[in-house]
Amino acid sequence: MTPRQTNLAAPGLLEAWRRRIWPARAGAFTPYLLLAPALLLVASLLVALVGMGETSLHLLDRSTFRLGEAYALGNYQALVERPVYLRIIAKTMLAAFVVTLVTVALAIPYAYLMVRTGRPRLRKLLLISLFLPFFLGQVIRAYGWLIVLGKQGLLNAGLDLLGLPGVALIYTFPGVLIGLVQYMLPFAVLLLAPAFTAISEELELASMGLGGRPWATFRHVVLPLAKPGWVAAGVVVFTLTLTDFAMPEIMGGGANDFIANAIYDGFFQISDAGLGAALAIVLSLLGTLVVAVIFTLIGVGTLGYVQPKRPAAAEGATA
Amino acid sequence: MTKAIKKGGRKGLPRRRFLQGAGAIAGAAAAAPVVLKYHGAIAQDKPPELIVRAWGGVWVESLEKGVSNAFSEATGIAVRHDLTEDNEIRPKIWAAVDQGRVPPIHINWDTTTNASKSALRGVTEDLGDLNGLNELLPLAKPSGLDGWPLVNTYSYVYVLAFRDEAFPDGAPDSWQVMIDPKYKGRVAIYDDGIGFHPAAQIAGGGKFSDIPDNMEACWAFFRKLKANAPLLGEDPDFTTWFQNGEIDVACTIISNARAAKQNGIAVSWTVPKEGAKLDTDGMWIPKGLPENELHWAKRYIETALSAEGQQTWCNGLGLPPVRPGLEPPADLVGDPAYPTSAEDLKRLLRVPTPILVEHESDWFAKVNEIMQG
Repeated sequence: MTPRQTNLAAPGLLEAWRRRIWPARAGAFTPYLLLAPALLLVASLLVALVGMGETSLHLLDRSTFRLGEAYALGNYQALVERPVYLRIIAKTMLAAFVVTLVTVALAIPYAYLMVRTGRPRLRKLLLISLFLPFFLGQVIRAYGWLIVLGKQGLLNAGLDLLGLPGVALIYTFPGVLIGLVQYMLPFAVLLLAPAFTAISEELELASMGLGGRPWATFRHVVLPLAKPGWVAAGVVVFTLTLTDFAMPEIMGGGANDFIANAIYDGFFQISDAGLGAALAIVLSLLGTLVVAVIFTLIGVGTLGYVQPKRPAAAEGATA
Repeated sequence: MTKAIKKGGRKGLPRRRFLQGAGAIAGAAAAAPVVLKYHGAIAQDKPPELIVRAWGGVWVESLEKGVSNAFSEATGIAVRHDLTEDNEIRPKIWAAVDQGRVPPIHINWDTTTNASKSALRGVTEDLGDLNGLNELLPLAKPSGLDGWPLVNTYSYVYVLAFRDEAFPDGAPDSWQVMIDPKYKGRVAIYDDGIGFHPAAQIAGGGKFSDIPDNMEACWAFFRKLKANAPLLGEDPDFTTWFQNGEIDVACTIISNARAAKQNGIAVSWTVPKEGAKLDTDGMWIPKGLPENELHWAKRYIETALSAEGQQTWCNGLGLPPVRPGLEPPADLVGDPAYPTSAEDLKRLLRVPTPILVEHESDWFAKVNEIMQG
């Protein structure tokens, strides 16, 4: 047998084996099989969430520091009755909305310029500036901000040189927001860039050819077509901010906690797993609710509940 | 001629002494295989290392110098220090014990309050058979618990630490300085308020004896403190803040202030007229260790409680040990934050551990509520 004959025989043999192991009639299940690992992963997270829900229904017994056997809603009651938790939830939601708006607003021109610029050097510079923070990680970036915004930091040193009064941004709520926006910007740009790339430049040229000014073209042509991109960016930034721990922990100075910090305190600082679990459930529900509302109101394509109707001609052609 | 021969009326051993001696020899001979087997097994089955949870910075440096190195030299067992936060290791140990797994560490160096919570949960080994416990100060024995589920190793004071430059006229004499608008944004406490509750209670016009039933004065003082924009942090933060000139005053453990001073930062400390909180740390061993590892973990704690261990370890930290008769560090002789006499202790505020165990979580939550406002 020549080597060529071997090569020809091998695919046939493999095909025979494939048919024996996975016959043609099982082909319909192939997509589900490929989905299985991801579904298993999601299912395990759901199981963990159910476990968390169960834990949240038990109260801490301080004579043994174990959760009691009886089911009770006391942990949820505590979240409602203690003003601190309502304040933390409100503060986290406010931060998530503000950071999302500011980040997406900053990411749109950045991503658009990165995609559309005709100057390769500028594109490279924008790409490097985008990816460099990824190599640093959130904790290092937060400590970097401490150096920049600290009372004796670079910002105040600069202001001092100019004879201007110093600003107290570190360990404040605005300081946390600044850190978060900087952290979230690359995520938003990366989600927006493919959306802008997918928009044909000819559409923009057509708009301008019809008398549309650049801003009008951007507003009435580019932005609507990039909607899947900025909706996705908004959802990702919102959920990441809503669940963030490190930035408020490091830059908040202990007085600007988010829900994740309160969850940590529940589990670790006061050893009350029931209370921590209740907060975790509330956080999950809040995130799910807001994302569901966003998808319902402005979601499009794969991010929308209501699929856009195809033109009749296209439907006929497909049929 | 010996007294024994005289009493027995004949040469050689008296009958009773002979029987006692023979009995002892027979008993020892009978027990020898068991004892030798036990110790032999342990000696042969030394674990390659022990893992001791510790706090970082000056804390772990002192432990290594005073205890871990001596233990390793004596036994040949390496000691690894796990710097996981005490609050974070606790649930891991609890879960391991509950699930019948080997716990992640051999010895937990912990606050007495947290250690007591673990004892109440039933996850701590009994340390009652440690050698030399009866030689220690009464402070070593945990209060409100049966037996020795943990052993306290030293006491410490939450002092009023201050930057020398900010107080050219000398140390502030009251905790009221923490709410002085002159120092707005330049004061610091621990992020959960630990160590400051009793001082705040008195500085706020309340009585120490009202703790825990009526702490309104304490919370009122915390509210005033909140208005003074305090920084909230953990042990290492205080050193950093003092180093960067970001704070002028803080309520922190004396060891942190002393470490900063030893590193060349112009920081001093005082016990204000209202007093300062006295507390203790201890060590405990989680249940679920193999027998040989438990044996050597206990030997490690014995090393920590030995005269040499306590002298070096506690002097490194600048804290009074639980073993009496040791020399205090030269720089702390006569310092009220290093209590050695009943007179010193009168100036300090010690909340009983059972009260801390029951209420401290609520106090943390209350401080959090005030500071998040």
